[in-house]
Amino acid sequence: MRRLATGVLASAASVAVVTAAVAALKPHVPVLSLGVLYVFAVLPIAVVWGLALALPVSVASMLAFNWFFLPPTHTFQLRDGANWLALAVFLVTAFVVSALAARVRRRAETAERRERETAVLAEAAADLLRGIDLETELERLTELVSDVLGAQVRIELGEHVGENTRLLVSRRRPVATLFLAPGAEIPAPVAQRFLPAVAALLAVAVDRAGLQAEALEAETLRQSDSLKTALLRAVSHDLRSPLTAIVASAGALANRELDLDAADRESLVSTIREEAARLDRVVGNLLDLSRLQSGVTETNPQLWSVDELVGQAIDAVGHDEDRIVVELDLDSPPVRVDAAQVERVLANLIENALKFSPAGSPVVVRGEHGATELRIHVVDHGPGIPPADREAIFQPFRRSDGAGSRGAGLGLAIARGFAEANGGRLWTQDDGTGAHFVLALTV
Amino acid sequence: MSGRVLVVDDEPQILRALQTSLRGAGYEVDTAESAKQALTAAAVRVPDAVILDLVLPDGRGTDVCRELRTWTTVPVIVLSVVGDESEKVAALDAGADDYVTKPFGIDELLARLRAAMRRVDASSEPVVRVGELVVDLEKRAVSFAGKAVQLTPHEFRLLALLARNEGKLLTHKVILREVWGRAYDGESHYLHVYVSQLRRKLEPDPTRPRYIVTEPGAGYRLVAPNP
Repeated sequence: MRRLATGVLASAASVAVVTAAVAALKPHVPVLSLGVLYVFAVLPIAVVWGLALALPVSVASMLAFNWFFLPPTHTFQLRDGANWLALAVFLVTAFVVSALAARVRRRAETAERRERETAVLAEAAADLLRGIDLETELERLTELVSDVLGAQVRIELGEHVGENTRLLVSRRRPVATLFLAPGAEIPAPVAQRFLPAVAALLAVAVDRAGLQAEALEAETLRQSDSLKTALLRAVSHDLRSPLTAIVASAGALANRELDLDAADRESLVSTIREEAARLDRVVGNLLDLSRLQSGVTETNPQLWSVDELVGQAIDAVGHDEDRIVVELDLDSPPVRVDAAQVERVLANLIENALKFSPAGSPVVVRGEHGATELRIHVVDHGPGIPPADREAIFQPFRRSDGAGSRGAGLGLAIARGFAEANGGRLWTQDDGTGAHFVLALTV
Repeated sequence: MSGRVLVVDDEPQILRALQTSLRGAGYEVDTAESAKQALTAAAVRVPDAVILDLVLPDGRGTDVCRELRTWTTVPVIVLSVVGDESEKVAALDAGADDYVTKPFGIDELLARLRAAMRRVDASSEPVVRVGELVVDLEKRAVSFAGKAVQLTPHEFRLLALLARNEGKLLTHKVILREVWGRAYDGESHYLHVYVSQLRRKLEPDPTRPRYIVTEPGAGYRLVAPNP
């Protein structure tokens, strides 16, 4: 509306300016030949506002020329019949010029719009190639479409029903729905060229997002698969090693052809006993781990003294007691924990220390306490833990490279699980000599 | 039975059980808990047989086997587990003589050990008798139940290889290399075709072979059929 008002004002002004110019030139030039100057009023209007205004301006120019300059002046009448012809020629010329100018203008406009649309699409395509996510791409395209249409629109993926909507279709597949303001129109060229291109881009973006999701899913599956494989290997090794010792020992005891003395038989029987106990521990570990991982571990906290906890843990380990050196401060405050679970933590730490350090070397269990924390250190004289593995060893089924084939790597995962279930922390630190684990419990 | 057996396993309990059993069966026993220890022990006191776990703390049993094969033909029996078939085959390719799967009965292990050690003693014999099958390696003649059997040159080479290693499991790869040459390493289908031809000529019932038996996924071995 404002555009039209400006046009009308500009039209009036241009007619007035030309009229003034003609009046100024009239004393010097025959007035009839000055009529052609009104073309300069018509032309700019035709170029800027098009035919709709240029035609009235042509008529207005003719009337103004007649009124002000052709005798009898200040009337619309004409004395000379030849003037009729001049006015008619002017009018036709003005019309033709207007039409031509308006057409040129329309073409320029179309070219400009196409150029803008192309640029906009190219930008959107580049975004897509840069790998921005679907949501951002949708936002960008919405902005671009709004820009091209000169009105705010909304685009939603998929087929939707609305008051003034257009379906964006790519290769006969509905990709998204364009929501227009009520009553808004889409120019035919935009609907024919621009929107299909937008739809195609969106289709690519949607497909790519789908592929990415699939790839992610496949990767997750692969990871969980390799975890399962690692788990099965570790568990099968941990179950099979004691079973192998038991089956071989039992077979030897049953074989009458073997020449076994009393000490041999004793040794075979104790192997069977110990390995059966080990099997039981492995099964217990697996159950504990699955409980810890599914979060159904219950704790039964009571006040315990540290020497009691450590003593129980050493009893639970049940072997190599002469290697374990205990340095406890008897003034340590008691801690409120689930005794069975903290014993498991300590037993697993001690068991590991005995297993991964040279036979006969001491394993030190040392206590210290501060105002808020009680710390129990378990230190061995083994090869220690490579810095890169210090966190990884607390993951189930993970072992430090130096650990070889022994154990499924459950002990530390369970130890940390129980430590945390009891409000404590468990970590390993580096002293340059052997492995050093610290269990911190709140006093 | 006598002889010195080197047992390699990093599980002290398995080591102890095997040591006791093997000593009870009349063998002298050395033990090792790692690949490094195993190679040292074998070099210091050359064993008459090696029982070798495939998973060791400092390496693979397969590598120990390959290393041993650079200087000795001592029989090697590997201890494998279900689910690790490829490692087992790799060890056999590397020259191991046989395998038992954990958990194994001590009787089975002793039987495999006896067979492997007997093979060493018998390996220089020019005539191999397996059940009713007689393979004369020098005269290149084969007979079954007293009747001569005609074989093509490749068939004979295949049978001769199996006969020289009577009772021993030979992997596809080893057989292909020995009979057809290194270039045929991966061509297992050749082997399957020739084995079935041999079975048709030798086995009383080729569909249920009792002499040339298949070890699924690993290879073949020539055995005396159970009576």
